[in-house]
Formats: sequence, C-alpha cells, structure tokens
Amino acid sequence: MNLEAFQAFAADNQWGVLWPELSMALLAVLLLVIDLFAAPLRKSVIPALALGGQAVILVILVLSFGCAAVGDYFSQMVNLTTLGQVFRVFFVLTSLLVCYVGWVYLQRQNLPRTEFFALTIMIAAGMMILGNASNFVMLFVALETVTIGFYVMVAYARHSPYSLEGGLKYLIMGALSTSLLLFGIVLLYGAAGNPSLPHYTGDGLSYANLNNFIVANPDNLLVLVGAALVLCAICFKIGAVPFQIWIPDVYQGAPTPVTAFLAVGSKAAGFVVLINLLRGPFAALEAFTFPLLAAICAVTILFGNLTALGQRNVKRVIGMSGIAHAGYLLLGVLALIKGVDWAVWAIVFYLFTYLFGSFAIFGVMAHLAGPDDENQELEHYQNLAKNQPFLAGVLAIGLGSLAGIPPLAGFIGKLLLFIAAFEARLYSLLGVAIIGVVISIYYYFGWIREAYFKTLEVPPDEASGETARPYPHPRSLSLAHRLLLGALAAFTVLLGIYQGAFGSSPF
Amino acid sequence: MDPSQILTAILLTPLVSAAIICLFLRRGGYVAAAVSVIAAFVILVLSFYWLFNWDGMEYTCGDSALTILQFGGFEVNIGYLFNYEAATMLAVVAFVGFWIHVFSVGYMDDDKDKGRFFGGLSIFMFSMLGIVLADNLFMIFIFWELVGFSSYMLIAHYWDKDFAADASKKAFIVNRIGDFGFLVGIVWAYHFYGTADISAITEIIHNDPTKAIDGIGLLLMCGFVGKSAQFPLQVWLTDAMAGPTPVSALIHAATMVAAGIYFMVRIFALLTDFTLDWILWSGAIMTTFAGFCALGQTDIKKSLAYSTLAHLGYMASAIGLGFPGLAIMHMAMHACFKATLFLCSGSVIHACHHEQDMFKMGGLFKKMPITAIAFFVATLSISAVPFTAGYYSKDTIIASSWGLYAANHEGIYLAAFILTMLGALLTALYMGRMFFVVFLGKSNGHGAQHAKESSFWMTVPLIVLGWILSLGAGWFVQNGLDGTWADGKMTALIPTDVAHFMVDGFHGEHNGWEGAHEIYEEAHAPWVEYISYACIIGGFAFCWFFYGRGAPEDRLQKSAPGIYHVLERHGWFDDLYDWYVAHVQQRFANILGVLDLLLISGLAVRGTASVAGLVGLVCRSLHVGSLHAYVYWFLLGVLIFWAFAFGIL
Repeated sequence: MNLEAFQAFAADNQWGVLWPELSMALLAVLLLVIDLFAAPLRKSVIPALALGGQAVILVILVLSFGCAAVGDYFSQMVNLTTLGQVFRVFFVLTSLLVCYVGWVYLQRQNLPRTEFFALTIMIAAGMMILGNASNFVMLFVALETVTIGFYVMVAYARHSPYSLEGGLKYLIMGALSTSLLLFGIVLLYGAAGNPSLPHYTGDGLSYANLNNFIVANPDNLLVLVGAALVLCAICFKIGAVPFQIWIPDVYQGAPTPVTAFLAVGSKAAGFVVLINLLRGPFAALEAFTFPLLAAICAVTILFGNLTALGQRNVKRVIGMSGIAHAGYLLLGVLALIKGVDWAVWAIVFYLFTYLFGSFAIFGVMAHLAGPDDENQELEHYQNLAKNQPFLAGVLAIGLGSLAGIPPLAGFIGKLLLFIAAFEARLYSLLGVAIIGVVISIYYYFGWIREAYFKTLEVPPDEASGETARPYPHPRSLSLAHRLLLGALAAFTVLLGIYQGAFGSSPF
Repeated sequence: MDPSQILTAILLTPLVSAAIICLFLRRGGYVAAAVSVIAAFVILVLSFYWLFNWDGMEYTCGDSALTILQFGGFEVNIGYLFNYEAATMLAVVAFVGFWIHVFSVGYMDDDKDKGRFFGGLSIFMFSMLGIVLADNLFMIFIFWELVGFSSYMLIAHYWDKDFAADASKKAFIVNRIGDFGFLVGIVWAYHFYGTADISAITEIIHNDPTKAIDGIGLLLMCGFVGKSAQFPLQVWLTDAMAGPTPVSALIHAATMVAAGIYFMVRIFALLTDFTLDWILWSGAIMTTFAGFCALGQTDIKKSLAYSTLAHLGYMASAIGLGFPGLAIMHMAMHACFKATLFLCSGSVIHACHHEQDMFKMGGLFKKMPITAIAFFVATLSISAVPFTAGYYSKDTIIASSWGLYAANHEGIYLAAFILTMLGALLTALYMGRMFFVVFLGKSNGHGAQHAKESSFWMTVPLIVLGWILSLGAGWFVQNGLDGTWADGKMTALIPTDVAHFMVDGFHGEHNGWEGAHEIYEEAHAPWVEYISYACIIGGFAFCWFFYGRGAPEDRLQKSAPGIYHVLERHGWFDDLYDWYVAHVQQRFANILGVLDLLLISGLAVRGTASVAGLVGLVCRSLHVGSLHAYVYWFLLGVLIFWAFAFGIL
C-alpha cells in the first residue's frame, strides 16, 4: 500500500469525533493509575474523581450536542448519528448514576473500590461506541468490551455465593450468546460474499454493504439464519423471552449498582443496536423480523409481568418488571419497523424515564441494603414511610413512574409508545400491553403498600420489653444524597409534566 | 394595571393567604388571623379601586383566558365576565367579607384553632370570588365545589362535637345532590350550545329565543336549589348553624347561599317561562314556610337561618317574576342586614358564654347597647320599615308581584303576592319575637346576667354593617348612585332593570323603587301599601303583647304545644329524608354491596387475580436455577427464531 492510498484511508480517522469515548476510557485509566501510585488517596479522591470527571464529560457532551458532524468515520466503522449522540448522553448519565449507587454500596462492603469505578466507566465507553457502530467488527468489539466488563462486575462481591453464582451464570450465558452472535455474523458475511448472488460484496461486515446485499437477496436462507442468530444475541441483551432466563438469578446475585447497570445500561445498549440494525442492514427483512418481534413482544410483556407477581425479592421484582419494560420498548421497535419514524424518539424518551425511575428505586435500595445486599425482601420496606419519609417518597415516585401513573414521566413514556403502536395499527399488541400495565400496577403498588401502609407486628421482646426492629432503616441521610435522589424524583415528575420536543413528536 | 390583572390579583390574594396559613401558620393564632384579615383588606381595596375605574361596560377577557385543561376541542378556561351583577356581588363579598373577617378576630379570641379557621375563611373568599368572576359554566362549577368544600370545612370547625361533624356532612351531601343535576345541566348545555361560555350562550339565545329549553334551565336550577337551600333541599342550612357564627354570617347568610341566586341571574337568558314559574312558586312558598318555621325555634341562630331561607325565597321570587336585577339588589341589602343580625347574635352568644337559647337571654339592651341598637336597626330593615335598606328591595318585590297581577291577572302572580305579603307579616313576627325576648325585659340565664358589651373588634363591624348600612344602604343606592356620587362612576352598581324598573302596562313618572310603588296608585289600590304597613306594625305589636319582654319561655310552646311542634319539626322533611335513606337507599345499597362482593370483588377481581397468580407461578417455576436448563432454553430460543426464519411459525 503506497503512502497516498494510506493517507486517503486515514483521512476520515477523525479521533476528535470519539472524544467522549476516549475521555471516558482515559478517566478509567487515570483512576487505575492513581490507585497504583497514590494508594493513600484511594478512599477520598477516587470516588470524587470518578463522579466529578463523568459529570464534567456529561456537561460538555450536553453543551456541545450537535456540534460533531453526522456521518461516516473510520472507513465506515463508525457512523455518527443524532440517535447515537443521544445515547452517548444516556450512557454517560447511566454510568454516572451507577457510580453513585456503587459509592453508596461500597461504603457498606469490604471490597476494592477503584476497579468498580474503572470497570463501570470502561463499560460505558463500550456502550457509547456500540451506539454508533456501523460495522459488525466494531459492534462485536464494543459488545465484548461491555460483556466482559459485566462478567467481572456481576461477580464483584466475591465473598457472596450469590454474586459468584450469578457471575458464573452470566459468564456461560453471555459466552453462549456471544457465540451465537459470532455465528450469525459469519453466516451473513459468508452469504454476502457469494459471487453468484447479485450485489455481492467483499466487505460483508459493513452495514452499508450488507444492506445493499440484503435488499437484493431478502429471501436468502443463509441471510435469514444468520440474522436470526444475531437477533438471538440482542434479545439476550435486552432480556426478551425466551432469552430472559438468566435475568432473575443474575440480577439477584449481582451487587445492587451492577443490577442497575444491567437493567438500564445493558438493556438500552441492546435496543440501540437493535434499532440500528433494523433501520440498517435488516431493513429489508421486515417479512421475517416483524412477526418474530411481534410474537416476542407479546410473550415478553405477559411473561415479565406475570412472573413478577409472586416475587418477594425486590431485585427479582425489578428484574422481571425489566423484562416487561423490554416488551413495551419492543412495541416501539415494531412501530418503527412499520414505518412510524418518530417511534424511535418515543423509545428514547421511554428509556430516559426508565433511567430516572429505576435509579430512584436503586438509589433507595442501595441506602436500605444491609451487608447481605442480595437478599432484599419486600418485607424490609415495611414502615419505611414512617421512618424515612424522604426515601419512601422517592421510592413511590420511582415505582409510580415505572407503573405509568400520571402525572409521572413513565405515564407519558408509555403513552408515546402506545400512540406510536396505534399509528402503526398494532391494535392487538396494544391490548396485550395494556393488560400487562394493569398487572404491573399490582406488584408495583404492592411494594408501595409495604412502604406506606403495612405496619409490622413485632411481638415485644419479653426480656427487655422493647420492640425489636428487625430491619433497621438508616436514621439520617446527608444532604448530598438527598439532593441527588431528590433530583431523580424531580426529573421524574418534571418529565411527566413537560416533555419539551418529545411531547410534540407524535403530533 | 389592565383589568384582567386587577381581577386576577383580587382572585389570587385570598389563595396566597390560605397557602401561607396552610403551609406555615397552622398553629399561628393571631398571626394567621392577621394574614387573613390583611388579605381581606387587600381584596376590599383592589375591588373598590376596580369598581371606581370601571366604565360600566360589560367586560370579558375573551381570548386571553387561561386554558387549564384541553382535550382536543374541549377546553376548560379560567376567564372573567364582569357586568352589573358581578359588580354588586363583588362589592358585597369584598365589603361584607372584610368586616366579618374583622369581627372574627374578636369572636374567635378564645379558640385554639385560629389558623384552621382563618385559613378556611381565606379559601372561602377565593372560591366565592371565583364564582363571582367566572365567565363559563365549568369554571363556575369548579369554584362552586370549592365553596362547598370551604363551607364543609368551616361548619365542622368544632369537629370534635358530633352535631357539627354531622351538620357538615349533611351540608356537603345535600349540596352534592343538587350539584349532580347542575353538572348534568352543564354537560347538556355544553353539548347543546357548543360552548360553556356564559356570554356566548346568552348571545345564542338572544339571536334565537327558541334555543332556551326547559331541561337545561331546570337542571342548572338544581345547583341553585342545593346551594341556596331552596325546596326540596332546604334541610341543610339550619343544621349548618353548627359552625362558628361569623361563618354563618358570611357563608350561610350573606354570600355563599346567595351564590345560587347570583348564578340564576347570570344565566337568566337561559331560563324559560316554565322554569321561571317553577322558581317563583318555590321561592314564594319558601317565604311563608320558612317564616312559620322560624317561629318554632328557640335557638337564635336557627331562627335566623329560617329567616335566611325566607329571604332567599324573596330573591328567587324576584327572579321568577322576571326581575333579576331586583334579586341582586335584595341580595345586597339582605347581605347587610342579615350579616348584621348574625354578627349581633354572635356578639350576644359570645357575651353569654355560648348560650344560644333566646329564652335564656333577655335584658341585654342595657348591657350591650351597641349590639342591641345594631340588631334593632337590622330588625327594622329586614321587616321592610320604610326607608331602611330592606324596604327598597323587599317591598319592591311584593309590589312588583302585585303589579304583574294587576297588569296580567294571572293567578300565579296573585299567589306570589299573597305568599310574599304573608312572609312579610311573619318576618315582623319572628323578628319582633327575637328582639323583644333577647334584648328587653330582664335577664333569664346565668350567662345573660353577666354579659358585657363585646370588644372593639366586634362592635366596629356591627356599627358599620348595622347602624350605617342596614339603615341607609337602600336610601343611598336610591338617592346617591343616580349619577351624583363619585362622578357617577358607581352608577353601574345599580342594575339597570332596577334603575328603570317598570311593569308593562303602567306608566308611572318615576323609575326604580318609586315607580314600583306608584303602581298601587295607578291601579287605584293604595290599600295594598297599607296592608304591608299593617303587617309590620301588627306583627311587632302582637309580639310585644304575646311573647312579652324578656320572656323566660315560649308562650306558643306552652299554650299550643301541638302547633309549636309542627313548626319545630319544619314539615318533617328531615324525618322523611331519614326514612328514605334508612329504608330505601340503605337497602338498595346493601343489595349492590352483595352484588359487588360476589361479582366485582369475587369474580372479576379475585378471579382474574388468581388466574394471573397461577400463570405467574408456572412462569416463575420455569426459572429453576439450573445452568443446564438455561442452556437448553437458549437452544430452544434459537430453534424458535429459526422457525420464524424458515417461515414455519
């Protein structure tokens, strides 16, 4: 390769476009370096630097939103889109909140701290690239960055058998899904490279080339089999039936902040990949993807909600309800397939409401968890409203939002998705979704009822005559915690009342 | 400031006061009282500033109305409609409201819950002003319910007493019955006219009188019947006297109960002849019926409450006769003298250590001269003694009903004339009885023997409302507002159909009240006027001799217990309603309760819940925890996806 050709090849390697991902990665490395060389600073500096650094990145990212030119970079490895940029903000925000919950969590645990923050930030950087990947190689590398990070994080509480069990299960299931993804990619690449077919391409990994090929050969069996395998791997990420099976065990075993990261970040990453694929190379496969995803959507909504009904462990409840939320989001994806273009913004809005609602709940959970983080039962929340009215209020707002109660953000999120589905004429799925919402109110409000209305009858201790408090709630909460949790609750209320541009998108 | 800003400031001032008291001053005592009184003063100043600057033209804020709710083409707006009836009502609410606030400071001095009381008064002022200014039916309904709530809250001020709690519940439920019809009427009106805006509806009917239909008018009248305690929903008002006396004066005499009348005047264009006849009958009968009932009470406040019912009947009669302006004028005059009477009774009750039985008072004239004189003036005024406030409005209503009869010879007007005239005689009777028994003679009870004149806070409002307004308000409106006072700016306060009051078929030289009385002369029946004087004088004289001064017991009760019992039970309406609730409604509710338990709760709720729970159990058991099983799940999933790919599924 001569020099000129190389220069031409490298001309679109504009590293500046990837500054948020790079700065996240550098921040993670910086944390590790400080840990290595300035060990005394570990306790004080590292959480502050992790939170502060991400906050700075988030602020710059939001302020500079739209500055980077949309288009292809790195030889079509990266395709920067507005959607990808929105998801960058989403993932930085997620990672920031995970670090906050993790900070609360780690204060109660005898575990190394620096690695937690570094891994979280690294995973977030991987997710951010994932949102803009336009090549299967890029997709695979980014996805593996995320997944391998999660293998470690799920098993982070290494003295806890639950965490280790969850980690092992996630490792094996994740490896299985990765292998399925890889098989799928290889099949697509192989089919696209067949010179006997029209529009065959030597670079079947690039979305654009693959799209050209699939448009010309939508009924090729090899393509369909490959696409099915890729969708299997994505359904594993978003936790859709039948690839939801790992969720309860892993969610329960993982430390609370990691559960939050899995529930919000991993799910959103899965959806952004799904949207990119369905709008890109798989657009021509509508005849296959639509019935498949429609069936999965219906089953996922019902399965998630019904399974959540009987759970007593709050992390399993959250996990199961997360399956149902993936089902609602699939409704938006289906509307998108059917040509309702603004459905993608309904999905984004829903994910943001889900983010605020979920982290409000996870924040409360982290504050209430004892040393055995994985066994949080609904009973632990009894009398919460009496002892900790602030936490109970945040919890109620978060749960209300997830249940979709007006005027909270979750209601508008569901409304937008349902309007999109209505425009796409998905009436029977809409019926299923509404049944699902009704069921979900039962278990969400069951939780609120524990916190607000149930008083635990504790027989007085005969020796001392005092009533023992079996599940001690923290006595006080510092101002910083109050501000952050209050802000999450406030956003949830605010987005329910004012949606900015999102509110007018369907009209 | 432009008009809508002033009106918004008037409306929001009491809300701000209520919010401050509710958030910070719930145990605030006199601080809460101060906030509330200052708010009332600000309302007074702003209202009269606005009235003096108003040009007398109807004001609407039109498109600048604030939309608070929108579903497609349906909007709920907050907007203002300001015309003569709103002007009079605003003046009354602001002026009487302020003085009653002042009175309350003195009256509630020994109360522990001043914060709750004064917060409630501020909420009431907010709701009442909302009704006064509202320009559409939905907004009226919202504030209509808010006055209902504040009335409920203030009646139950002594919530630890059973009778107060029961009375507030009764007031609320009875009002709900009326409001149901009201709401149906609003929905119908919106459906029929395509708008809920009052001036727009008036315009539509003005262009096409056939658009006024009986059904809508009668349904909207239900709201008036509930709020103004007219037949058959009159039962709540006397019980509502369980609240503190300033509340009785402000809400249950001067303003809220008159809101029903005010609303009927606002939608007067909507009312058909049939509806007006209905209103006239019920109003005229109420003047007499309530008058009789007032004679059967020993509790001073309950007796006054019946008097309020009777005078609301007069206002309803004026509407029924077709003179809405006259009804508004009587409302204003009534607000002056009835507020005075209630405040005097409050002053007396306070001085007698919360003794409310008239026959345990007596001889208070010497002990409480300021209160007694105010009460005396208001008594003359309510009995329509010439040139007192009540004479100008009440006697005009009687005269106009006779005038309509003389002009048309329709029986309904004759009946209305006889009933209202009888009502006037009864007014003289029960008011004379009350004044002689309470203030003259010697003291009968322990409380009365040690009574002292009330404090400055209570006597000043009595002097303003009693000595001055009850005496001179009518004369002032008649002679002062004819274009000379304040450069004629306040002329708009007099309703035009009162200023130019004239019954068709008569051609008197004078307009207004004088014109009304000229009807007698023109019809060659001056004796009618003498009857009304005879009623007043005869009524007072009868009481002087029959009940006696400072009597320790009711002579009617002693000499004719049967008659007294009939009056005391006020027509057994309460017993009838109690029987209905206990024997009809309760049984029906029980049947529904069983159905609910079986069908809704049992089958629909528990049934679906158990199905969902069962399916959930099955789903949950799929998560066995075994890694092998999970891997097979994945393989199964891949197979299903492939089945879709091959088009099998």
